[in-house]
Amino acid sequence: MFRLAKSVYVVFLSGALLSALPVSTEAGAYGIGKPATAEEVAGWDIDIRPDGKGLPPGSGSVEDGEMMYEEKCASCHGSFGEGVGRYPVLSGGEGTLTDERPEKTVGSYWPYASTLWDYIHRSMPFPQPQSLTDEEVYAITAYVLYLNDLVEDDFVLTADNLASIEMPNKDGFFFDDRPDTSNTGCMKNCKDPASVKITSEPAIATLQEDKTLAVVEVAPEGGEKVYNQACLMCHEAGVAGSPMTGDKAAWADRIGQGRDMLVKNAIDGIGVMPPKGGQSQLSDDEVASAVDFMIQQVSQD
Amino acid sequence: MFSKPGSGPAVLRKVTQEASKVDPAKRRDFLKKGLLVAGGAIAGTQFASTLHASQNNLPPNLPEWSKSLGAGVITNPYGQPSSFEGDIVRRTVPWLTADRIAAISFTPLAELDGIITPSGLVFERYHAGVPTINPDEYRLMLHGLVERPLVFSLDDLRRFPSTTAINFLECPANGGMEWRAAQMDALQFTHGMISCCEWTGVLLSTLLEEVGVKPEARWILAEGSDGSHMSRSIPMEKALEDTLIVYAQNGEPLRPEQGYPVRIFNPGWEGNTSVKWLRRLEVGDKPWYHREETSKYTDLLADGRARKFSYVQEGNSVVTFPCPEKPLKEKGRYELEGLAWSGSGKIKRVDVSFDGGVNWKQTRLKGLVLPKALTRFSLDFTWDGSPALIQSRSTDETGYVQPTFTQLREARGNSSIYHKNAIHTWRLHADGTVTNVQIS
Repeated sequence: MFRLAKSVYVVFLSGALLSALPVSTEAGAYGIGKPATAEEVAGWDIDIRPDGKGLPPGSGSVEDGEMMYEEKCASCHGSFGEGVGRYPVLSGGEGTLTDERPEKTVGSYWPYASTLWDYIHRSMPFPQPQSLTDEEVYAITAYVLYLNDLVEDDFVLTADNLASIEMPNKDGFFFDDRPDTSNTGCMKNCKDPASVKITSEPAIATLQEDKTLAVVEVAPEGGEKVYNQACLMCHEAGVAGSPMTGDKAAWADRIGQGRDMLVKNAIDGIGVMPPKGGQSQLSDDEVASAVDFMIQQVSQD
Repeated sequence: MFSKPGSGPAVLRKVTQEASKVDPAKRRDFLKKGLLVAGGAIAGTQFASTLHASQNNLPPNLPEWSKSLGAGVITNPYGQPSSFEGDIVRRTVPWLTADRIAAISFTPLAELDGIITPSGLVFERYHAGVPTINPDEYRLMLHGLVERPLVFSLDDLRRFPSTTAINFLECPANGGMEWRAAQMDALQFTHGMISCCEWTGVLLSTLLEEVGVKPEARWILAEGSDGSHMSRSIPMEKALEDTLIVYAQNGEPLRPEQGYPVRIFNPGWEGNTSVKWLRRLEVGDKPWYHREETSKYTDLLADGRARKFSYVQEGNSVVTFPCPEKPLKEKGRYELEGLAWSGSGKIKRVDVSFDGGVNWKQTRLKGLVLPKALTRFSLDFTWDGSPALIQSRSTDETGYVQPTFTQLREARGNSSIYHKNAIHTWRLHADGTVTNVQIS
């Protein structure tokens, strides 16, 4: 619990617990492990802090970011950051945090701009994590800030100015102060029996057996397994204009071009779809097996 | 509602099982007939008897399996549950997330006994799917404000003295779908983002000692090696208290779903601090405020402010029998059972109410009662056929009493998503079925 943590800090500073802090300049007691070289650390040390610590040199403009965002982000997050399907909404929501349905976006909720740079760099784009250059991360971060009206359209984000961007909700967070409830644990006649009323029950319509429970699946093999790994994310929901799996109308013309063409497009990429759906480790045969699986989905009755 | 034996999926499963025993030549015909039953065409006719217990296998007759030989050793080099238990599986709720790669599945709590969750039934939560990691290519880097930045292989980690502990692992979003109203009509979905395992690994404090932490060190960043590179800031006090670098679960190497080959594990804390597929620990003087501790995993309150670094999973409990998946079939004597847990320590007591919280009875704690672990409670009762509103309420060793929903909402409003630990209510109907309700 954090309150406990603070008291420990005090003890730390007074020095009484310093013996518990494993400070030592001598070799480790066990002598196990290899020294991490500067090069090894540099390859993996990707974290960015609100004060800008960890940012690599570089810059990117809102203008450059717009094209990159459209190409790499909009298929899930929408051209204006409005979100596609259940993928995260990035913009809007200002002043909604006290609403019945608050909209927590970069602009309305996130306390630091550094988090955006860090996250885009560490995890995005979803199907191809850590595929962006630092310059691209700067530009896309700048553009998402622009989508949230936090910077002007001529803004250029740099390693030096990122920490100075003030987010609207920067003061909206406080350290854990729970417990925040105090139930007395009453045992007898704790309330008026007449006051016990059912206030909500699941709406049966949303819980039809087949929809909620028909998710018992045999581990997929072959083409389906590849599909789940590389294709499902977009094709299951028809993200970015991709033909939805099982949608016969959407697939009719494509299948008309022949299987070989579909396989070729899947391997090389087509339109916004990256080669092999972004999973470059897949063999051509594996991609072909996923294509066959998808064809099968519209060929069955 | 759940499928009862004899309806759709359960019948299908039994049909398949029966078919596997039939001479292959006749199997196709059998399946055809069986599927007709599954389709509902002739439920309750002669065929039904082959799907359930056969009189031929009941006393005074000698059962079929007593008159023949069974499968030999190594038929299943890695054993599997009985084929009759195929319904005890993790399930997901497709509409919760955008896809199945960054998604969650739920532990079937109603079907489990004791406090240990079998490894294959531990709920799953991925942000970029499960990576496949060759243990020979595994490395853990420990650097930052340390005297000797080091890289450890899996063999290196196994050379340090190990520690084993039984602890629950709970996603802070467990029950999150119920914040605004009762929504899910199954225990698996109201409380299934929790499990409890035996975890083995090396104490993080041991590794910190090995690298030598600088005096200004206050925080540690834990980072995964999967595509999401999930990262969380962890205060030094926790690292020195009981944080484990885990490589084994329930006696065997960690399952891929749980972070194979190595995860960090913070007992009693929200599950996502226990970063899986751990690749890096960086020691620093301030928290990092990454996405999973700002945009997500912060608790928005009614006044628009949000609680941050709310790590502890506070005291909680739920009745696991009866529940929607396990109704009462007839009047008579039963043992009510449930699970309680607290991220602050041991469970001290659990009380149960049958009248919606007017009067309470103390239950018996069964088996092991361990800190930050699932704890099973039970109460014998006789059901006379009356409807009831069944609740459970835990108290932990710090004296913290699980709150009512009203108390929790008064304190936080409806928008927190995470850390919903309110007293849960099952409505027992006169026909013995059980549904999920919220009450005043």
